[in-house]
Amino acid sequence: MLGAAVTVSLSLATGFDRAANRAGLADVIARFDPVPLGEVEARTRALANLRAVSYRLELKGVNILAGAQFNGHAKLHGVPSGPRGYALVAGREPLAGADEVVIERGLAESWGLEIGETLEVDGWRILGAALRIVGVAVTPDSVAFPLTNGPRLYSSYDVVRRLAGVEPGTVNLALLWVHDRAQLDLTLAQARAASFGVRELEFVTRDGVRALINQAAGIVIALLVAFSLVALAAAGVMLAASSAAEVQRRLPAIGLLRTLGASPAAVAAGYAAEAALVAAPAALLGLGLGALVVARPTGRLLSALNELGPGPALLLPLAGCLLGTVGLVALAAGLPAWRAASRRPVETLAGGDVASAPRRLRLGAGPAGLGMRLALARPLRTAATIAVLAASASVVLLMLALATLLGRLESDPSTLGKRYSLTVAAPAREAAAIRRVAGVDDAAPRYELPAADSFALGEGFTVVAFNGDHTDYEAPPLASGRRIRGAGEAEVGLGLAQALNLRPGTMLAAQLPSGGETRFRVVGVVRALEAEGRIAYVQPSRLLEAEPGLQPSLAVLLDPGASRDAVAARLSTAGYFAERVGGVTAENSGFLDVLAALLLSLAGVVGLVCVYALVQMLALTAHERRRALAVIRALGASRVQVAAVLAGSGLLVAAIAAAAGIVLERFVVAPAAASLAASYVTLPLAAGPLHMLVVSLGLTVAALVAAAWAGRGAIRRPIVAGLREN
Amino acid sequence: MDAIASARDLVKSYGTGRAARRVLDGVSIDVGRGELVAVLGRSGSGKSTLLHLLGGLDRPDAGTIQVAGVRLEREGEAGLTALRRRHVGFVFQAFHLMPELTGIENVLLPARLAGDGTAAAARVHELIGLLELREAADRLPDALSGGEQQRIALARALVNDPSLVLADEPTGNLDAESAALVLRLLREVAGGERAVVLVTHDREAARHADRVLELREGKLAA
Repeated sequence: MLGAAVTVSLSLATGFDRAANRAGLADVIARFDPVPLGEVEARTRALANLRAVSYRLELKGVNILAGAQFNGHAKLHGVPSGPRGYALVAGREPLAGADEVVIERGLAESWGLEIGETLEVDGWRILGAALRIVGVAVTPDSVAFPLTNGPRLYSSYDVVRRLAGVEPGTVNLALLWVHDRAQLDLTLAQARAASFGVRELEFVTRDGVRALINQAAGIVIALLVAFSLVALAAAGVMLAASSAAEVQRRLPAIGLLRTLGASPAAVAAGYAAEAALVAAPAALLGLGLGALVVARPTGRLLSALNELGPGPALLLPLAGCLLGTVGLVALAAGLPAWRAASRRPVETLAGGDVASAPRRLRLGAGPAGLGMRLALARPLRTAATIAVLAASASVVLLMLALATLLGRLESDPSTLGKRYSLTVAAPAREAAAIRRVAGVDDAAPRYELPAADSFALGEGFTVVAFNGDHTDYEAPPLASGRRIRGAGEAEVGLGLAQALNLRPGTMLAAQLPSGGETRFRVVGVVRALEAEGRIAYVQPSRLLEAEPGLQPSLAVLLDPGASRDAVAARLSTAGYFAERVGGVTAENSGFLDVLAALLLSLAGVVGLVCVYALVQMLALTAHERRRALAVIRALGASRVQVAAVLAGSGLLVAAIAAAAGIVLERFVVAPAAASLAASYVTLPLAAGPLHMLVVSLGLTVAALVAAAWAGRGAIRRPIVAGLREN
Repeated sequence: MDAIASARDLVKSYGTGRAARRVLDGVSIDVGRGELVAVLGRSGSGKSTLLHLLGGLDRPDAGTIQVAGVRLEREGEAGLTALRRRHVGFVFQAFHLMPELTGIENVLLPARLAGDGTAAAARVHELIGLLELREAADRLPDALSGGEQQRIALARALVNDPSLVLADEPTGNLDAESAALVLRLLREVAGGERAVVLVTHDREAARHADRVLELREGKLAA
């Protein structure tokens, strides 16, 4: 389990930097309307902090065809010589002027393309051509195809320019590398100031890409850390308990060693060395297996994120885990031996009763009740096992809640505070006609456009505008301040507020794609999940002044109980193309699926930790109380009844742990994970009744499985051997 | 004689190679209904082994055993469990009470295992009274004297009304007064349909028996 957790966490935590470093990812990617190279070169040359720059021609919406597979959203980059900004993972670079192409790894894997095959490209205002695949690359500035709707392709500049039919030297994309990343904001401000005449200028920074990609992975890493801690705690508790029981069993031998002159330290060292010898190959095998089991799904996840795996770099942390595990085992074995050896030899020679004096308990006296009393006869161990199981249960509950939330984010717009279910690409004047369609309650123009903060151009955000009260259509909860009432006011998402230190009363200066600037007074801060909380709600008049050509879509509210599909069909009949509103964009839905699947798998593995903890506890109980079990067998207990005794112990622990786990998840783990995952929004991570039922049933089944397992071992032991035990 | 238990040519060995030791070497025994049979022998002579074989707790290397009409060598583990539950009661030298259960709960345990807990309640109270255990009934074993613990163990052996009670050194851990009381009770228990086999190394204890057999060198002799 430790091997699995270390492999996944390390891979995800370092995957972006590894891929970005290998690819030589640019510090800033600037996109703009096509201009002659000379125009943009003159501006970039003036930037003080600039280390290197590479210009490209990027064609969007390119149709690509390979066999029966087609995509109409590909991005074809014409790359001149110089820094690439992507990492070649197979093959070679295209030769200048040759009809050759490097394709992104996501495309190669999802379409099954190999080097040497041919890819047909064409499109609107693009000449058709057949490009031979000569390489496969990873570009960590975005997630991979098919998580993005369009794969990226790289060919020589001359080829792409020829296909696009534009003048030589035309470019629309620049990759910039700076000397000092700490001064990036200043460089961007300088670039913005010098950008007069360059239209539709947008910047994407390396840090912004990392933050965006790591946002989702951060949740997984946090869960894995919690999972590793739970696994380690479980292993530690069980090791300590089994070592203590083993030492108890061998007290006379320890007494004999002490009588013969062995020091307590020598006895403890002997036990520790013996345990370490057993633990070393077991830990090596376990860590190796754990790492192997998750290697494939982690590789898939890294591929989806366009990141690279750690490779041999993983060996060092795994070796550290091996040493730590063996050390823990040695300590768990040596400590109780040292304590036992520190007692007077005469006491140790006499041995001792492993069962402590019980207390009178109001529990059943049948097999299950007896089992509960056996568990409570070892209160510390039982409490430790309950703690481990409760922690595991809370982690599983959190994973289930997260998986459910991811599912809702994908399909349920209400998770983003959206009350409309459909959008229609139509001018604002069509709203009245759409309102007349059966099942439609209301329709209103919704404006959306990207913007950047005028003072920190690397901080991009989304501006959303409705006429009047936007909360009829989008109502993320208000964290502070009030809702907007006029054209000059804005509500900003908490993510944007945190990034730009905004609060009610401050000013938001938005640089729009046209280059114009519009200012709004911040009157409220909202907990918006959309766009990671980097969003501003305003009224549209000022936006339309700055961007007269801005076209809205129409947000469509449905009548209560109306079917979204039925209304969409009616709108289609009426000549409107209605798009279903999801929780997140379609580009991310596949990624959310992968994450949800990973979380559910991990929940299953943590469930196995629970079974392991219970099996260990019950096996120890059966070992320590072998005489008691032999007696009840002599009194006529059947196999099932012996298992029922152990099931009583297990079910008592499981029931308390389930209750404690539910409380722990609701009041500690879920709030902590929610704030860790997204400080800009209150994520609903508290487990629902179904999750609680699943975990409670899971623990019950785990207790029964563990009881059956431990009971089987107890029954195999001859009754007379148990009766002879002292 | 109408035997409740009979064994023929029992052989049982422990250990292997040079450490191998045949503790029972062709032992045959018949225990009649209502009879108290004492088996004498020194420590390690195989007395407990004989008792374990008669109670279906262990299997012989050779020989046959029949208890309450059941041929033990023909029964599987479930059959032996049912035999112990219905026909056999055990009393051990070390009492072997469950430390987590009160005296009365210990007595009721075999009845509960047989699914007869409610119906046995009246019988348990009768036994508690008969064995003078009213004060001990609600206490945990660690608060009871050795004599009380052994009487609880005897009540437990009798709760399912078995036809054969097997007592393994029942007075070995008791003072003289308690030992005398337990032996008197065992004497009273043997009667009617029920037989008692008492194994002991104490000749004084064996004097309460109807019949005394001695186990020596793996052989049983009168």
